Amino acid sequence: MSGTARWPLAGAIALLALPLALSDFWLFIAIEVLAFALYAVSFNVLLGYGGMLSFGHAAFFGVGGYAAALLMKKTGLSAGAAFALVPLAAMVASAALAAVTGFFSVRRSGIYFAMLTFAFQMLLYTVALKATGLTGGDDGMTGLRPPGVLAKPLAYYYFALALVAPALYVLYRLVNSPFGYTLRALRANARRVQYIGVDVRAHQLAAFIITGAFAGLAGGLFALSNGNVFPGWLNWTASATPIVMAVLGGVHTFLGPALGAAVYVVLEVLISGKTEYWPLAMGIIILILVLLMPEGLTGLAKRRAA
Amino acid sequence: MIDSFLQQLAWLQNPVVVARQLLAGVSNGMLLFLICAGLSLIFGVLRIINFAHGALFMLGALIAVSLTALAPGASASFVAALIGATAGLAVLGAALETGLLRRIYRAPHEFQLLLTFALVFVLGDVAKLIWGREDHSVSVPAALDGSMRALGLTFPNYRLFLIVVGVAVAVGLWIVLHRTRWGIFVRAATMDRDMLSALGVNTRRLFTSVFAAGAALAGLGGALAAPIVAVGPGLHVQVIIDAFVVVVIGGMGSVLGALVASLLVGIVNAFGVLAFPGLAVVLTFAVMAIVLIVRPWGLFGAPE
Repeated sequence: MSGTARWPLAGAIALLALPLALSDFWLFIAIEVLAFALYAVSFNVLLGYGGMLSFGHAAFFGVGGYAAALLMKKTGLSAGAAFALVPLAAMVASAALAAVTGFFSVRRSGIYFAMLTFAFQMLLYTVALKATGLTGGDDGMTGLRPPGVLAKPLAYYYFALALVAPALYVLYRLVNSPFGYTLRALRANARRVQYIGVDVRAHQLAAFIITGAFAGLAGGLFALSNGNVFPGWLNWTASATPIVMAVLGGVHTFLGPALGAAVYVVLEVLISGKTEYWPLAMGIIILILVLLMPEGLTGLAKRRAA
Repeated sequence: MIDSFLQQLAWLQNPVVVARQLLAGVSNGMLLFLICAGLSLIFGVLRIINFAHGALFMLGALIAVSLTALAPGASASFVAALIGATAGLAVLGAALETGLLRRIYRAPHEFQLLLTFALVFVLGDVAKLIWGREDHSVSVPAALDGSMRALGLTFPNYRLFLIVVGVAVAVGLWIVLHRTRWGIFVRAATMDRDMLSALGVNTRRLFTSVFAAGAALAGLGGALAAPIVAVGPGLHVQVIIDAFVVVVIGGMGSVLGALVASLLVGIVNAFGVLAFPGLAVVLTFAVMAIVLIVRPWGLFGAPE
């Protein structure tokens, strides 16, 4: 076996065996980590590879969550049928949204791109808050439950893994395809790429839609394990979450953001269990990250190894 | 559909309601201007979106809570609160700039975003540690209590006072920006800070002073807002979102834009609440998105 194939295999075995070592509570957290890992990696395909800082990626995670909740609660489908449609519906809804907001957002770059994505996210937030008949407004949508045996954390963990792992693989193939290399070139120098005849906006829009769809899938998966969706998922404070995870893990590696997501989620569980001042702790963690370790955890590991 | 909508607008024929909403809109707009002027200046010079600006505003209001509590309702304690909040936030602003922001001017956008974002949480929780989680109220100082009648309408004195202060600050800022050496540096930095630095201006000190001035304006705004809002840990959230909308519409880096857009948003909110209950916020973000698409540098800003 070649050296490069050994690590993914070891990772797969570890993820498959993980539930043996975890209580139901930590299994529940592991599902959250899977969802947020997909969310953070999809976000980082935009930021780390495409150089596009979206400050509204939570819109897609949130819309995926609401799509799942609406499907389960409002369509009148049987629980099994609705549930089977959740992954597809979450991805389609988020992709459709990304197509519309991306169409406008990719016309701008840098900080203006960030602000446009942010404006669209806040627009959705207010809609989720005010369309009380559909979304439950401030109370959100609660009592979501996967059907049958999937309601058990163990079964749902494998279900989530069976969706997240292929999704990550697709994204991995994507960033290593010619399309992915064009994205990297756009990050380095968009103007030069344009001069050689590449349609910059079309590439950026495609990346926006694809990553939006996967963020939606992550949101749908998390909504059903969590049991609730709240408008807070779309609020401005939520848009920083994938950025923190990506930077924490390291934006220059494919799986760094997944590591960042795991560390972030576990830290949140540990710290918010001890004190109500989790925001303060998170703020301090971000400050340390930004000021002292800009390459993230994977950067630290590489520096150690070097 | 149209009939019921027109019925909802019946209050437009009532001059008392229109005058009341207009006054509320303009005075809220003036408060918003105090926050947005600083936010806009800071973006223009430092090129940083300061998400923590709402938290600075909240700290100003909380300092006012503590200082007015020394002698509730007394005009002297209110004046002390205005001065204390402004000076306190200027010092905090200078400390934040030299201690934290200065380190990340050359870093990628996401680091700048995360840094001011982290400050929102840190300052928010520190405020909870010091002032608690409950809402506080500040009474209107005796000298500004009551209301005056004109043209058969009643105007609360404090609202009128807010408008006067807002106009005074706007005029004062204009004079400082256009008639002082510091103001010329600030405007030059908004256009091209590398050139300014190359011409021998100490931009490090300029950046510190601009951030301190922006924070001081937010602190003053917070202290002025204290008698008409519930001063608590949630105060900064809505404020920063409104301020962000204003600065985008008016144009980042433009004080005039901040003034016009603040009044616009203040008045639209005051009337929108009556005309489209629940939808006013949706409209504001729709307007913000349209401005960003059509004219991303805002109504009064300069294109990159």
